[in-house]
Amino acid sequence: MSGVSTTRVEKRSDGLLRRSMARPEAPALIFLLALVIVLSVVADGFLGTSNFEGILAQVVVIGIIALAVNQVVLSGEIDISTGSMLGLCAMAAGTVAVAGGGLFFTLLAGVVVGAISGAVNGFLVTVARIPAIIVTLGMLYALRGVLLLVTGGDWVTGLPAETRVLGIGSAFGVSLPIIILFALFIVMELVNRHSDWGRNVLAVGGNRRASVLAGLPVGWARFWAFVLVGVAVGIASVIYIGRAGSVQTNAGTGLELQVIAAVVIGGTSISGGRGSTLAALTGAVLIGVILNGMVLLGIPGVWQDAVLGALILLAVSTDVLRRKLLGDKA
Amino acid sequence: MEKQDTETAHDAANRTPGDAMSRSEETHSGREGTWIFRLSSVTKRFGGVVAVREVDFDLLEGEVHALVGENGAGKSTLMKMVDGVHTPDEGSLEVGREAVSFSSPREAEAAGIAMIPQELDLFPELSVAENLFVGRKRPRTRWGGIDWETMREEARRSLGSMGVGLDVNAPVKQLSTANQQIVAIARALLGEARAVIMDEPTASLTEREAEKLFEIIADLTAGGVGVVYISHRLEEVFRVADRITVMRDGSHVKTAPASDLDSDELVRLMVGREMKEQLFSRSRREAGDVALEACGLTRRGEFENVYLIVRRGEVVGLAGLIGAGRTELAQTVFGLRKVDAGEIRINGEGVKGLSPQRAMEKGVFYVPEERKSQGLISPFSISGNITLSILDRICRMGFVKRGRERETAEKFAGSLSIRGAGMDDPVSMLSGGNQQKVVLAKSLAREPSILLLDEPTRGVDVGAKSEIYRLINDLAEEGKAVLLISSELEEILSMSDRVLVMREGRMSGEFERDEATQEKVMAAAAGVKAGQAPGNEAEVREERE
Repeated sequence: MSGVSTTRVEKRSDGLLRRSMARPEAPALIFLLALVIVLSVVADGFLGTSNFEGILAQVVVIGIIALAVNQVVLSGEIDISTGSMLGLCAMAAGTVAVAGGGLFFTLLAGVVVGAISGAVNGFLVTVARIPAIIVTLGMLYALRGVLLLVTGGDWVTGLPAETRVLGIGSAFGVSLPIIILFALFIVMELVNRHSDWGRNVLAVGGNRRASVLAGLPVGWARFWAFVLVGVAVGIASVIYIGRAGSVQTNAGTGLELQVIAAVVIGGTSISGGRGSTLAALTGAVLIGVILNGMVLLGIPGVWQDAVLGALILLAVSTDVLRRKLLGDKA
Repeated sequence: MEKQDTETAHDAANRTPGDAMSRSEETHSGREGTWIFRLSSVTKRFGGVVAVREVDFDLLEGEVHALVGENGAGKSTLMKMVDGVHTPDEGSLEVGREAVSFSSPREAEAAGIAMIPQELDLFPELSVAENLFVGRKRPRTRWGGIDWETMREEARRSLGSMGVGLDVNAPVKQLSTANQQIVAIARALLGEARAVIMDEPTASLTEREAEKLFEIIADLTAGGVGVVYISHRLEEVFRVADRITVMRDGSHVKTAPASDLDSDELVRLMVGREMKEQLFSRSRREAGDVALEACGLTRRGEFENVYLIVRRGEVVGLAGLIGAGRTELAQTVFGLRKVDAGEIRINGEGVKGLSPQRAMEKGVFYVPEERKSQGLISPFSISGNITLSILDRICRMGFVKRGRERETAEKFAGSLSIRGAGMDDPVSMLSGGNQQKVVLAKSLAREPSILLLDEPTRGVDVGAKSEIYRLINDLAEEGKAVLLISSELEEILSMSDRVLVMREGRMSGEFERDEATQEKVMAAAAGVKAGQAPGNEAEVREERE
């Protein structure tokens, strides 16, 4: 919660507590704090800077993409093509890196490929008016197909060290990917709350018809959200290849649903209009903490999917319940 | 006054000539025959609002009993009590001499009562035969599967008995509206209905299709079935009805044989007596230049060849019944719907390919009738909603300037006296009236010169209503052009400098302030005056609102 809104809220008639509870990310945040406290007590090795850094490093890729997909979900649409998109961006960036393009062109390659893919999604949804779930499902397969056709199934290996900085570098004693994640979080928070476009996205997701009648650019608002996802995937892909040092053709498989899970668990309403940037970040971190805690507690890996699934269902039911309790006024 | 009127109605009924009089105890209106169902002094409330108040109504075997009244007079609510959708709070329903209480339309159907709602409740993807058997015991084969052959056979027979030959295998969505209507009627009859209630059955039919419907109705009544016919179209009512019941403001006004009434009388009964008094005493003002002009504006199936002029400083009331095409017209002027033919001129300048954004740039703003679904973004704060229309103006480098936003929101919230919550509270915390003021504030923030207000006071309490009236008056004084769409005649008459009336997609009347009366406007809206004979009508299909 940003400082601006906190001070403003205190002056209002309703209590700060009630206000805070009405925030979309509140349940996930409370759950996250409770989990951190419990794990600190019961799990050896949980409490500690290096473990925390490990958890965050784990969720950077999901987190960055979730920040952008969050905007798509807020606008009332959905994007499930990010897994294959990451694979394709990583392959483009990796190829440029191996060819000696340097960090800048590596990043540019990833971002451009991502932005183009996102623009295709956005075009098909807003201009061709095909439902986003269908468009992005199609793209999930199509992009992976392009990746396999172009590479013929070959890996890209031997990335030069200078192009891996975003994945393995560090600054001020903090690893660079984590800095990038938080920097992008702050940017998205500002854009979401204070920009013209951020406001349009929320309005369109909140009530499409009313937005049309208010003269808002309903199509563009959603189009740019899809492009933003592409850009975010492009940035994330360079972090991804930096960490891995090589690119496989199955890179990013299954990522798309983890991203959606992070957004929804964090508290952004899947039907659009309600949610926050912090929700997406909280969701991503929560997933990281749970997976980490399971490892530390010696819970077998086969439980992972069951726990994540239960968490998604829990998050959605909490949201429904809370709306009822608040009289749907939040 | 209501009470008194109801009594007059009974008196009038008892005065009906001849043999009917002696049997007038039998029915509520003095017509002989056996009744199929009878409602006695039923009342229905929704929350604190009385939708139907102590109404008597009955239906005889083999008659067509028309039920007429203005929008919101309680006609549909009354019939839904017969159909089991609503149960009466007071009063009783008798079917075949037995007091009954239906808790669902299914029970009503079992008792031989079927309602064909305005919005047909068919399943578009299923075939005609399947639709006829929905919710009914389907014939089975020996193996327990569905016996399609028998089903189709029965469907064919039941449609054949109505004199229509439809392909029973065709999905219902492929049929014309008229044929869908026929399927709905056939479905009612398959359940051996003795009473069929039709709510605005001709609203979306062409003249020829309506003729077919009248034939079917004649066949039904010849076979002893009773028909309740709810309609706004008075000439049709006089054509098919044996008896007519008029309702107004939820109360029974009069029931009489159709032959005892004429259209003038019927209009008078529908709108009531003289207007009590002006809802709002409006200031006198002079109209300025033409701000908005529509020349021969047409949208196929919605409205046709509409001419409209609104001047600066003028409030033009647009009256008409639901489905007359008023909302469609306003939305077309705002660029939400594409123009098929004709021209829109704003401040004397012809505009083509209008979109809401462009209309707003030209100074036009449309305030929608449904504030929840079209006017407000409910997760947004009050101030967020107000400034929605001017985001592009209060932004710098793509970011909203908080100070400007607050200032604008507070200015308009203050001038409209929006009360009940803080500016940062969710808009859903406000009462209906204050929510409506937020919708108005949003449009005023854009500082439009032409305002299209669609039912601006619907569902708003009396206090907020008078504030909205004062606002409309102030806007006109400031020189803005206002088009006021309203279904409340009193509102139209007290607010407007000029009254336009639409009927079935055409302009059917124009009255200066001094000459506009409830009767004249209603007559133009229902189409019972000169030159409105049914034969002259083109095949206009109405879009339901």
